[in-house]
Amino acid sequence: MLRFISLGLALFLVLAFPYPLQSSEVFPHNYKIEELENGLKVVSVPLPNPNIISYYTVVRSGSRNEVEPGKSGFAHFFEHIMFKGTKKVPRAAYDDFLTRLGAGTNGFTTDDFTCYFTVFAGRENLAKVVETEADRFINLYYDEEMLKTEAPVIEGEYYASVSNPGRKLEEILRDAAFTAHSYKHTTLGYLKDILDMPNQFEYSQLYKKRFYAPDNSILLVVGDFDHNQLMEYVRKYYSSWERSNYTLVTPTEPPQKEAKRVDYPWPSRTLPRLAIGFHGPAFSDEIIDKPALDLLAKIAFSPSSPLYQKLVLKEQKCLTLGASFDDSRDPSLLTLTSIIKKEEDLPYVEEEIFKELDRLKTELVSPELLAEVKSNLKYSLAEELGTTDGVAGVLAFYLNLTADPGTLNRLFGLYEKVTPEDVQAMAKKYFVKTSSTVATLSEGKTQ
Amino acid sequence: MSKAMIRWLLGIFLTGMVLISIACQKENPNMLTSELLPLEGNPLIQFKILIKIGSANDPAGKEGLTQLTLSMLANGGTKTMTTEEIAKAFYPMAASVSVQVDKEMSVFSGTIHRDNLEKYYAIFKEMLLNPGFREDDFNRLKTNQLDFLSKTIINNMDEQFGKEILSLMLYEGRPYQQIPAGSVETVSGITLDDVKALYKEQMVQGNITVGLAGGYPADFPAKVVTDFSVLPQSFTPRLSLPAQRPRQGLQFIIADKQTPATAISMGFPVSLSRSSKDFFALWIAGSHFGEHRQHVSLLFQKIREQRGQNYGDYAYIEHFIQGRDKFPSTNYCRQQQYFSIWIRPLANSNRHFVIRQALLELKRLVEEGISEERFEMVRTYLLNYTKLYAQTLNERLGWQMDSHYYGYKDFLAEVQARLPKITREDINRAIKKYLNFENVYIAVITQDGESLKKALVENAVSPITYANPDMPKAVLDEDKIIESYPLQVKTENVKVIPASEFFKKPGLPD
Repeated sequence: MLRFISLGLALFLVLAFPYPLQSSEVFPHNYKIEELENGLKVVSVPLPNPNIISYYTVVRSGSRNEVEPGKSGFAHFFEHIMFKGTKKVPRAAYDDFLTRLGAGTNGFTTDDFTCYFTVFAGRENLAKVVETEADRFINLYYDEEMLKTEAPVIEGEYYASVSNPGRKLEEILRDAAFTAHSYKHTTLGYLKDILDMPNQFEYSQLYKKRFYAPDNSILLVVGDFDHNQLMEYVRKYYSSWERSNYTLVTPTEPPQKEAKRVDYPWPSRTLPRLAIGFHGPAFSDEIIDKPALDLLAKIAFSPSSPLYQKLVLKEQKCLTLGASFDDSRDPSLLTLTSIIKKEEDLPYVEEEIFKELDRLKTELVSPELLAEVKSNLKYSLAEELGTTDGVAGVLAFYLNLTADPGTLNRLFGLYEKVTPEDVQAMAKKYFVKTSSTVATLSEGKTQ
Repeated sequence: MSKAMIRWLLGIFLTGMVLISIACQKENPNMLTSELLPLEGNPLIQFKILIKIGSANDPAGKEGLTQLTLSMLANGGTKTMTTEEIAKAFYPMAASVSVQVDKEMSVFSGTIHRDNLEKYYAIFKEMLLNPGFREDDFNRLKTNQLDFLSKTIINNMDEQFGKEILSLMLYEGRPYQQIPAGSVETVSGITLDDVKALYKEQMVQGNITVGLAGGYPADFPAKVVTDFSVLPQSFTPRLSLPAQRPRQGLQFIIADKQTPATAISMGFPVSLSRSSKDFFALWIAGSHFGEHRQHVSLLFQKIREQRGQNYGDYAYIEHFIQGRDKFPSTNYCRQQQYFSIWIRPLANSNRHFVIRQALLELKRLVEEGISEERFEMVRTYLLNYTKLYAQTLNERLGWQMDSHYYGYKDFLAEVQARLPKITREDINRAIKKYLNFENVYIAVITQDGESLKKALVENAVSPITYANPDMPKAVLDEDKIIESYPLQVKTENVKVIPASEFFKKPGLPD
């Protein structure tokens, strides 16, 4: 039986509709969610302009799923394999189809999910896209030789980032901060595991069976199409996709008991870099912790914050200062990062960051500042939602978390509720020195 | 009549006045111009203030000055607000001003929700028209530019480094050669007075196009044009560029550094631009040979897909910067263009093989042209793919501006009109006319550059190794041809230079 949910607003809103930014209803578009019997969720956001369709498949498997030793980077590797074609539509024919369609197409892998997108012009092409994509997900075919040829491409991708110290800093921070959870490694994975990918044909088949299944995937379609027409195609082509019923158990990260520190000597000249990670909560649109920490991070480390203004603009010790805290399915790191101009200032910047965190524990932030950050988040989102593909890109992330576009409005509803007292409480709860990991990267002292 | 109706009529009237005045000014190069793309109901407004100068306008000995000056406007304070105050004011609006500096064109961009239009524009306008030119902003931005030149580009971004070395080679001794950031020596010597002087000389009406897109009020463009009309009436003539470098065989510059991966960029000047009649035909050839980050690219198929050498391999018939997703960025218009091939980093052990392979494929393209099947497919591809180019306000306005620079009303509409009329013969004729495989500048970032030089000059056989022991026979057979494909490389045409020597002074290191 099909489950049908319509959460449409009273009006059919289009991209050009003025957002009621005063309210927390930040996602202004009508959408529908349906679920096929095999568990595939379909989220559709029909928009009447401008003859473009964004077709996204979200597979809820990312580097988080790489829980076995030696398998880091596998979700990303499998993303590459997914372009190898099927017996019905081999790789060359698949490329040929996409080429003639003139589609913008690719995939990307994150900690929590892998996303495939095809953006194309013309609703008359929708049926063929649904058929071809369904075939690819249900009937992917590749042999061991194809896998062995693709594996070195990942090595090449690793090399493309090898001169970027930011990537290295992230790698060493995660590795130090996590002991058990698979967030320990980046989506690219460890080089030793990348080099072993040519030997992983058997595991790749197991990986596909476990995770590339309708009950672990969401289809998201945004743009110029008719919902009922879409569903007709989807039912026709995706219904034969078999469930996996596999349940992933990710290791629980034990509480960190003592502060950690790791330094990386960069082999050539570079501006020194600092990253400080604290263990934070997973995404939630019900519990206040994560939204409150999102606001806190912006209050303390955005360009309008006192610390940024001091270190970047007034004292000019830092080139950059910022915070990142991904919305993730399991508890992840809230990370404060800075590129510093002189190596001798590294300890000072680190000290200033910790002092600022301590201040947040003892002083309440001003309601005005809090309101400014809330405003920033709303207007940033409004700009991101400015195009068909922007809507799809934003939704893909949130669908991975809750499979429901309504989560955006619930999240922003929580942002509205966050008080200065909440911010202070979160600072006390999460910015605990023993839960911190400091990673630094600077010009090699070992040379 | 309601107030709203009066405002609406007044807006129409004022816009009409501005358009009439702009039309009248068209013949006067000293006056401001504007580009408008009104989209009623759109909640966002896009600003683009285009300045028709770039790094090629830097005075000799002051390379990097244009970038530093324009960066002072986008990232410094105004006469009445400090940088700190601007950051605080912009934050609740999620607003910013960005600047992009190319060789002969620069642009300030910003997107704002219409709730905040007035507050944003009041500051935006002051940043460009009444900059603060404070010493502390100057020191901060100058240091950032110097750090970029002395540390970041050389050590942290090899692919960009390779492209900039190629630019130094393509335009040696010419206004286009230098990276917009300049060089350590020249930026070190720039003073705040230099910045003020360049601002005074170049921020003049005739150099500026005011661009607006989105749901702005009808009377808003008139207000912006009036505000920017306080700038002096003058203009900088478009640069008269010297002829492109003569053909000189295969020329290599190897930037030597410790690295596990080799980055390669190669190319040569071409005597056409988007304005040229042959552009569309050569564009299909370029897309066939190396469309940016798309499977349709022949180089991508041969080097990545068949052989797993790296992440991707692309070719371009004009200067290309990736914008949103994989689409071309706008506002990089140039009078002179170049053809280039970008080989993304690959294991050092296979660098010689892949250089050979790229040049052999180029030779085949020049000698054999494009097949009927590929021609038809790539043309269909471009006709559809270009429909995705202009989606955001920034892209739509950018394409509109670039269309006009190259003499089109709407370049993307022109693509739809012209491509169907192009024949395979047009393409193969354009390939022969503009492309070649014997005179190519090649920039390589790698380690142990001397051993690569030796191998190149000696034409040493360069076999490739694979993780897959069962590679298809057709690939292995072709590899045998590639590994000994002779390249005419003279020893004096291969320079190995330590990476740390680049960007110390303008031009190529001695």
